Amino acid sequence: MDDPFSELMQAAQTGDAAAYAQLLNEITPRLRLIVRAQRRFLQTEDLEDLVQDVLLSVHAVRATYDSRRPFIPWLLAITRNRLADGARRYARSAAHEVHVESLDVTFADNPANTNMDTYGDVHQLKEAIAALPPMQREAIQMLKLGEMSLKEAAHTGKTTEGALKVATHRAMAALRKMLVKKNDR
Amino acid sequence: MIDNTEELIRRLTADAKPVRPLDRPHTRAALWLVLSIAYIVLMISLNPARHDVSSKLRENSFIFEQAAALATGIAAALAAFASVIPGYSRRWLTLPLLPLAVWLGSLGPGCFQEVAHFGMGGLPLEHNPWCAPFIVLFGSIPAVAMALMLRRGAPLTPRATAVLGGLAAAGLANAGVRVIHPEDVSVMLLVWHIGSVMALSAIAGGAGRYLFNWRSIIRISQ
Repeated sequence: MDDPFSELMQAAQTGDAAAYAQLLNEITPRLRLIVRAQRRFLQTEDLEDLVQDVLLSVHAVRATYDSRRPFIPWLLAITRNRLADGARRYARSAAHEVHVESLDVTFADNPANTNMDTYGDVHQLKEAIAALPPMQREAIQMLKLGEMSLKEAAHTGKTTEGALKVATHRAMAALRKMLVKKNDR
Repeated sequence: MIDNTEELIRRLTADAKPVRPLDRPHTRAALWLVLSIAYIVLMISLNPARHDVSSKLRENSFIFEQAAALATGIAAALAAFASVIPGYSRRWLTLPLLPLAVWLGSLGPGCFQEVAHFGMGGLPLEHNPWCAPFIVLFGSIPAVAMALMLRRGAPLTPRATAVLGGLAAAGLANAGVRVIHPEDVSVMLLVWHIGSVMALSAIAGGAGRYLFNWRSIIRISQ
């Protein structure tokens, strides 16, 4: 058989779980490479989210695979589409986030404490920061608490300025959500 | 995170049920056409045909216009079914453009003659108010069947897929309605019939993201 993936997918379509598992396990590293090449600025967990999105999509539309056609273009079409969807989702969520660089969020600044009443005390905020994923927590600690510049923080954290910006945006959104949720209880 | 992906693969493959591969787009389009044409023929038989139907069916311009409308519907159906199969070229999406241009063009000479005869201000635009509802009625079952069939595919281009599905159903429905509605003024046909077909296609396109989206397809597959 010229196309081993095609053979595995045909078996998967008949309900062969072993062939299906082999197929998904073999395409996953390739998907990781493609996603990483297309979305260099994303963190590992976000890249993995995209890979999982593609796997779920492949599973959902596996009936659309026609064994008379090559497998890779079929997979790439789904991957490209899901990556574009992910980019649209990210752009939409970024459009609803507040640009953090222009906000005072350090504890020392008085303006930063103007909305403390709405989400409780500093202790609560510290707890929320501690609950963030490591990359986002580091970004907040370096940029907002440590008042480091983007360049310094990128150097210290051995990451890129773009990745730090993304992590900070996400951290701020996550903190807002956590603190509002706590206050709603 | 890698553990999560491995866990996901385990979950997806553990209860992987057999799936019936979809037929090729042209086979699915043929099946849809048979169902839709049968329904439209039934609807025609339930309504009184236009009084001049036998002479119209011998008129070249009428036959040409109807053939172009049908070709637009068939091409749109083919393109819609190809658009939900990953790996097909995006060029398929443009397949109905040529027959659509021919359909519009078939009304062109008549429109020019009417403008020359009546003048822009005197064009007979008062129309039978039932043409648009009849296009909706004739196209309803084909549209529902089309939506159900398209939902089995991949929502790669939801809006374009929905526009094409709507164009296919409305194009076919229009051909059916022309057999029962005695309207032959080209400008009226252009405005009310082709206008209705375009409006219905645009409405379908607006609903595209609700009808065809990854979230619901993934949820159903879980």
